[in-house]
Amino acid sequence: MASSSSSGLTFKLHPLVIVNISDHYTRVKSQTNPPPLTSTSATVNGVEHQQQAPRVYGCVIGVQRGRTVEIFNNFELLYDPSTHSLDRPFLEKKQELYKKVFPHFYILGWYSTGSDAQESDMHIHKALMDINESPLYVLLNPTINPAQKDLPVTIYESELHVIDGIPQLIFVRSSYTIETVEAERISVDHVAHLKPSDGGSAATQLAAHLTGIHSAIKMLNSRIRVLHHYLVGMQKGDIPCENSLLRQVSSLLRRLPAIESEKFQDDFLMEYNDTLLITYLAMFTNCSSTMNELVDKFNTAYDRHSRRGGRTAFI
Amino acid sequence: MDSAVAQKTWELENNILAAEAPDPSSDSIFHYDEVAQAKFLKDKPWANDPHFFKRVKISALALLKMVVHARSGGTIEVMGLMQGKTDGDAIIVMDAFALPVEGTETRVNAQADAYEYMVDYSQTNKQAGRLENVVGWYHSHPGYGCWLSGIDVSTQMLNQQFQEPFLAVVIDPTRTVSAGKVDIGAFRTYPEGYKPPDDHTSEYQTIPLNKIEDFGVHCKQYYALNITYFKSSLDSHLLDLLWNKYWVNTLSSSPLLGNGDYVAGQISDLAEKLEQAENQLIHSRIGPLGTSRKKEESQLAKITRDSSKITVEQVHGLMSQVLKNILFNSVGQQNRNEQPVSDPMIEA
Repeated sequence: MASSSSSGLTFKLHPLVIVNISDHYTRVKSQTNPPPLTSTSATVNGVEHQQQAPRVYGCVIGVQRGRTVEIFNNFELLYDPSTHSLDRPFLEKKQELYKKVFPHFYILGWYSTGSDAQESDMHIHKALMDINESPLYVLLNPTINPAQKDLPVTIYESELHVIDGIPQLIFVRSSYTIETVEAERISVDHVAHLKPSDGGSAATQLAAHLTGIHSAIKMLNSRIRVLHHYLVGMQKGDIPCENSLLRQVSSLLRRLPAIESEKFQDDFLMEYNDTLLITYLAMFTNCSSTMNELVDKFNTAYDRHSRRGGRTAFI
Repeated sequence: MDSAVAQKTWELENNILAAEAPDPSSDSIFHYDEVAQAKFLKDKPWANDPHFFKRVKISALALLKMVVHARSGGTIEVMGLMQGKTDGDAIIVMDAFALPVEGTETRVNAQADAYEYMVDYSQTNKQAGRLENVVGWYHSHPGYGCWLSGIDVSTQMLNQQFQEPFLAVVIDPTRTVSAGKVDIGAFRTYPEGYKPPDDHTSEYQTIPLNKIEDFGVHCKQYYALNITYFKSSLDSHLLDLLWNKYWVNTLSSSPLLGNGDYVAGQISDLAEKLEQAENQLIHSRIGPLGTSRKKEESQLAKITRDSSKITVEQVHGLMSQVLKNILFNSVGQQNRNEQPVSDPMIEA
């Protein structure tokens, strides 16, 4: 059912959506499978409580600008799997509420949890088609698989394909990128990794900042290594030569250096100098403050002697 | 081995609640126990102890939503409500949602249609399976720190009289982006006329001159709660995987560009504070040397601390830029220095 999409739309997904769906799922799961009362019996009962994980449904909202679809947020939907009916008034109410706070977003599609897209999902898809002509279907796989390397989120679009002479709507998989704003990135970082609490000395802040950049560079390095291994293998003849890949690699390498103009150098050096200036000023302030304290302490120490006449106050 | 020890000591110092390996029982926090909550509400243990609630646990989702909403307001204050429950002396925030209210300066009041929005939203939420009640409100102070202004204090005192248990959370999205870590504070006010037992010093933060009066007058009327964060096992798993795609954003973020305005504002504010401090210094030299001296010293020391904070952030931003320059630009510079060797890529 899922082949690759050909609509040419690029999808951008915000991490908020992913955390939202995960939270929705965890919530519903913990409501239907109440946790054991004592923690000691958790491991024993946990094994037995392997009930069918409930599926959750919801709507995703965002913006579409030209060929780029950006998914910002989402909210829950009420859907009855037995009667295949969508709770319309609920959907409209929610839509209204979200419109008030985020007036730019509109419904782009819907989401659900599960391991693969199913036939019954087409019903919801068709139901949403009167709000948005080509809705998206975002599927999150909630099973935790430690060996997994990639995000268990897939985006499906619907396309009209002719199967056995009958035009039918089927799901086709699309690729997506993760898009973020700076604030989102920082809070995701904060919760995902261990970030220092407020305060902390300058040393811990520096360490945290550099650690973040270091791990990012490490990722970049490992990706490049993979490419390098692949190319070496191709050179040796172990792997069949694939020209399109070679072209891509060569175009990637040709993009270095990233910027090489006079203007960039000037701007860069100016920024560098500005920062050095700020450091200089801060040091100045620090020094004058220390001097001030020193002078005051000196005054207090020697003041008693000068009061009997003699040296004037040494200010 | 060394790094593992270092990480453990650092975790201890910073009171991080490490998320253990996915353990189904740790997700029990997501379960809403209606009976226990109702009983707690009836008992009202906070009625006797103004300092009853000491901790706040915020879920990953709530934090993300609040920060994104606060940032989307830009320099305008925004507000919203938080839903959750209580757990002994901790308030747990499970979710947050935004309110369609425009705030100006230090005046953020929910108007009539915001109340309607609140009721509608809570209703739909209950239908959708989120059973928690509203347990607090949050708003943003873009650029001027996490504390409660006079209006905030009176709003919160009113809330604490009629809607207990209630929590006030303040987020500063500008400082978050500038410093690279989330700037957030959770507060509860003391009831009218109550004198806090000890003069605990909260963590220092710099307040711009035009707000410092408002801050100083009311800072004794509320206390800050300790904030920790939690996430479900699925959340941790997803966030770990997210890093596979996310590292690009970390490397490509340019804090210097985004924070230029804010840093400039901070520096001019510092300049004004320095002038004030200088005036005080001159006047006190004539007056009696004694206790007044201590006040300017501490003011000058404060200014020094602020200036070092801004510098540190700026230097961090510059470091990222320099690193990126070395990574992506130095190739061309190297090639220019050496003799142009035949490049197999181009020839092939």
